[in-house]
Amino acid sequence: MDNSGTYFVAGALPEAATPTEPLPPWTSTRVVGARLPRVDAYERVSGTAVYPIDVVLPEMLYAGILRCPHPHARVRRVDLSPALALPGVRAAIGPDSPGADIPWYRAQGRAWSRLLDRHCRHQGEEVAAVAAETPYQVADALKAIAVEYEVLPFVLDEEQATAPGAPPVHEGSNRVGEPAVYERGDVAAGLAAAAVVVERTFRTACELHAPMEVHGSVVRWDGNRLTVWDTTQGVFAVQAEVARALGLPLAHVRVIGHYMGGGFGAKLEAGKYTVLAALLARATGRPVKLFLPREDTFLATGNRPANRLTVKLGAARDGTLTALEITSLGAAGAYPASAAATFMATELYACPNVRARDETVFIHAGRARPMRAPGYPQCAWALEQAMDELAGKLGMDPLALRLKNVPRTAQRRGNLPYSTAGLEECLRRGAEAFGWERARRARPGRATIRRGVGMAACFWGFSGGPPSTAIVKLFSDGSATLTMGASDIGTGTKTVMAMVAAEELAIPVERIAVEHADTGTTPYATPSGGSKTVPTDSPAVRAAAAAVRRQVLELAAAQLQRPVEELTLREGRVVTPADPSVSLPMSALEGLQRQGVLVGVGTRAPNPEGTVTIPFAAHFAEVEVNTATGEVRVLRVVAAQDSGRVLNRLTFDNQTLGGVVMGLGFALTEERVLDPATGRMVNANLHDYKLPTMLDVPVEMACVAIDRPDEAFNSTGTKGLGEPATIPTAAAVANAIFHATGVRVTDAPITPARFLAAAGGKRG
Amino acid sequence: MLPHVRHVRPATLGEAVRLAAAPGAVVHAGGTDLLGCLRDGVCRADTLVSLAGLAELRGIQEERGKLRLGALATVAEVAAHPVVRRLLPGLAQAAAVVGSPQLRHQGTVGGNLCQKPRCWYYRGPFHCLRKGGDTCYAVAGDNRYHAIFGGESCYYVHPSDLAPMLVALGALARLAGPAGGRVVPLEKFYVLPEEDFTHETVLQPGELLTEVVVPLPPAGTRTAYRKVGPRAAWDFALAGVALALAGEGGKVRTAQVVLAGVAPVPWRATAAEKLLAEQSLTPAVAARAGEAAAGGARPLAGNAYKVELVRQLVREALLALV
Ligand code: SF4
Repeated sequence: MDNSGTYFVAGALPEAATPTEPLPPWTSTRVVGARLPRVDAYERVSGTAVYPIDVVLPEMLYAGILRCPHPHARVRRVDLSPALALPGVRAAIGPDSPGADIPWYRAQGRAWSRLLDRHCRHQGEEVAAVAAETPYQVADALKAIAVEYEVLPFVLDEEQATAPGAPPVHEGSNRVGEPAVYERGDVAAGLAAAAVVVERTFRTACELHAPMEVHGSVVRWDGNRLTVWDTTQGVFAVQAEVARALGLPLAHVRVIGHYMGGGFGAKLEAGKYTVLAALLARATGRPVKLFLPREDTFLATGNRPANRLTVKLGAARDGTLTALEITSLGAAGAYPASAAATFMATELYACPNVRARDETVFIHAGRARPMRAPGYPQCAWALEQAMDELAGKLGMDPLALRLKNVPRTAQRRGNLPYSTAGLEECLRRGAEAFGWERARRARPGRATIRRGVGMAACFWGFSGGPPSTAIVKLFSDGSATLTMGASDIGTGTKTVMAMVAAEELAIPVERIAVEHADTGTTPYATPSGGSKTVPTDSPAVRAAAAAVRRQVLELAAAQLQRPVEELTLREGRVVTPADPSVSLPMSALEGLQRQGVLVGVGTRAPNPEGTVTIPFAAHFAEVEVNTATGEVRVLRVVAAQDSGRVLNRLTFDNQTLGGVVMGLGFALTEERVLDPATGRMVNANLHDYKLPTMLDVPVEMACVAIDRPDEAFNSTGTKGLGEPATIPTAAAVANAIFHATGVRVTDAPITPARFLAAAGGKRG
Repeated sequence: MLPHVRHVRPATLGEAVRLAAAPGAVVHAGGTDLLGCLRDGVCRADTLVSLAGLAELRGIQEERGKLRLGALATVAEVAAHPVVRRLLPGLAQAAAVVGSPQLRHQGTVGGNLCQKPRCWYYRGPFHCLRKGGDTCYAVAGDNRYHAIFGGESCYYVHPSDLAPMLVALGALARLAGPAGGRVVPLEKFYVLPEEDFTHETVLQPGELLTEVVVPLPPAGTRTAYRKVGPRAAWDFALAGVALALAGEGGKVRTAQVVLAGVAPVPWRATAAEKLLAEQSLTPAVAARAGEAAAGGARPLAGNAYKVELVRQLVREALLALV
């Protein structure tokens, strides 16, 4: 599968373990599909859940990082001694300290910087770090470090980066690799054959992940073994990078990430903070806690890059697409990262003639990281607004135009069929739930305050796959432990995985304990990102539980002197459906009592060949626009999601509505602002960086779950949800604004200022 | 990181004034702005003089045609007060759109009126003119949120929603200080950068705002406050307008039109007030008043949209009062 634009472009996935026997699809379910509260709801709500930022160890020191205040500078001199002279300060490291030269930002076969580098290429780049007895002493020590900078010229956006004579971020051109071009058919011929052509350029803003829990780690050395409590989406990814950075065997680095306060893609790798903390801990012989101030997370932990996208569409009179051309220019920040944003446009609609070009450039700002569907909301913003415009030119309903162009195959991936193709169903059922036809017919009128409706669709190009291993242990009383490596990044992973195990073992979810996200105790898992945790890990969990189930039934068959095929599990007991007299509680299994624990290991079977499996969605929005002031209120949103089987409708709705809210931020409020004169970010805090508040969230938000198990894909019939839940929202809102006002706002976010500017003379 | 400070809690106003007059002392009421300023290094203090022990600064009282808002009355109390809601709905509206529920319950009237500028350069790591530096970063920088009126060497906008409404209502500020008490019209409480770009108010060292006195308007007076923000809550006005119109029916006798979010002080739209006097509130008059209010604006590179916002907000808010 082509993974362009997804989280896992960089490295090939490790080989899968030997796959377990394929399990047949569930014919009916008792636990899976139920609306169950989260298994850790009490801990999360009561505050007893221990997040990494809550970890306090005996003798622990606090640490902090001194960061470059300039977008581009060379560190001439660093004097740590004033900091070391302060009370309570136990260690300080700078660009010349041992370990500062650990290679960092590896890409394209080389390291692009060092842990503490004298050449700072963005505001917030790490210059020094200190450890002290209290956080206050850390703050004082950081202020006391004397640094002399040579301030250098900088580029802040994709236009400046590509201008002739632009200051280079790295030696050579500011391009991150060669532009990626994809082509099929003949676009020129397709455009020539078109009855209608639209072309428009769009721009999206740089967004920040802004997870609730700031980035950071607590580290402790025991001899030459390191334990890291990290707020991360992937403990094994962090383990590998920390072990490599410090030259340690993997087995000597234990990373624990039980709870974590959100990531959205910003916590898929080890941070410099973890390695700096480890160096400081080694230097002092004390555990060290290093969490970033909120401001620093805005500067140095990733972002969704801004993209400039031009879309050109051609269509026949009846709406059939004849040509699609899309180009994107995106800014990766100061180190290699992808700002690709065109992939979705090449497969969302059937079109024989397609050309897509992605160019990524360096700028002197924090490095882009995957952010909830990297590239896709940007693509939807441009493509889906252009489709809306095309529909307008054709005099077609925007929904009808999309239905006209639903693809039958994955056109960029060998024209393979989709194992389940939910686009049409998302469009139809979403429209029905929204009342699209009636709402669309209503005339916006000429009053100052006008209402309108808009929609947009998407897919997310990826659904996970091997490797994943899970372990289930059944105890002698019939309760069980599920052990898996995946992180629960707030999506309800622990809950749905416990439900899958409970389904297979026929015991209540309350009888299952989940052990997860600990490289010391759990089997390997890839990071929770890419909307792949459920479709990747839930089949492994099911397989592990099924392995236990098989052992239970075999032990029962021996004990009851019955053929194993006659036996099944129900409500914690071994039963024979045909003979009600047979009913043996699992706790009465002699074999289990003797053995103490039954262990089942399950692995993720490979994905089937010859098909493509991806989730789809369509979002519908109604807005109210004050055309005089440019204020936009989103009145309601319906999100139709095809993500295969729904394991738990409560967590499904949580994910979907959270995605919608994130999309509203993209559409209306969120934007990193860099000062043009100094190159510094002016809104690096939670007030000035405008996340939607509860009052920005519509009261009416509904989720339509298509809930069709994708049984050909994996043993739980699941596809991903987290990302397709946010991809089309912003475009739907922009289209609704156009419907209400006739004003096409091409640049996100649509603030009153941008609306008024776009409205120009059109208002009235 | 909050700096190390001494926190004192005087029991009398006199003691509070004495303590607040000491160098390095800052008055602490609700703390919603102060603590952020200290954490971000926007202002420095070694002593916080808490007003929490001064019961006489709390509460809202109606008294002989006046409403007295204690400096420690919370913004939420103003929004919910029955007399405010009945006689000064514009003030209730202004209080209700301040910040967020938490901020309205913790933040006080005095603190809201004495907020430090919200300019993102001022609040961030920029040593700008107002902080003792030698340049205003907003001029060449991103000034989408800055002033279109009254800027001169410094272009921040006054962040308060209460202040424009209280100015429109002709409120008085009662101050207590080492040299005794004094009363100043709230309108004169604020200082334009051209007068002094290092101070936002006339408060002298040790002087504190103890009370705001609002004359209850004659029957038939209509008041309103309306703002446009970057989002629906927890934000400051991109532009706003406070109106107090005296007169009967559709007829305006006198009008007070004070703008929010567009100038370093609550900005009186004198031309609009003149235009509205003795007029009937027709759509045409409202539109002309909007034009007048926006007249004379001097937008910076990134905030011309505020001129249009003022035009439209004034028109819209006037028509909503008909
Ligand atoms: S507008 Fe005022 S507060 Fe803001 S940067 Fe300029 S001088 Fe400083």
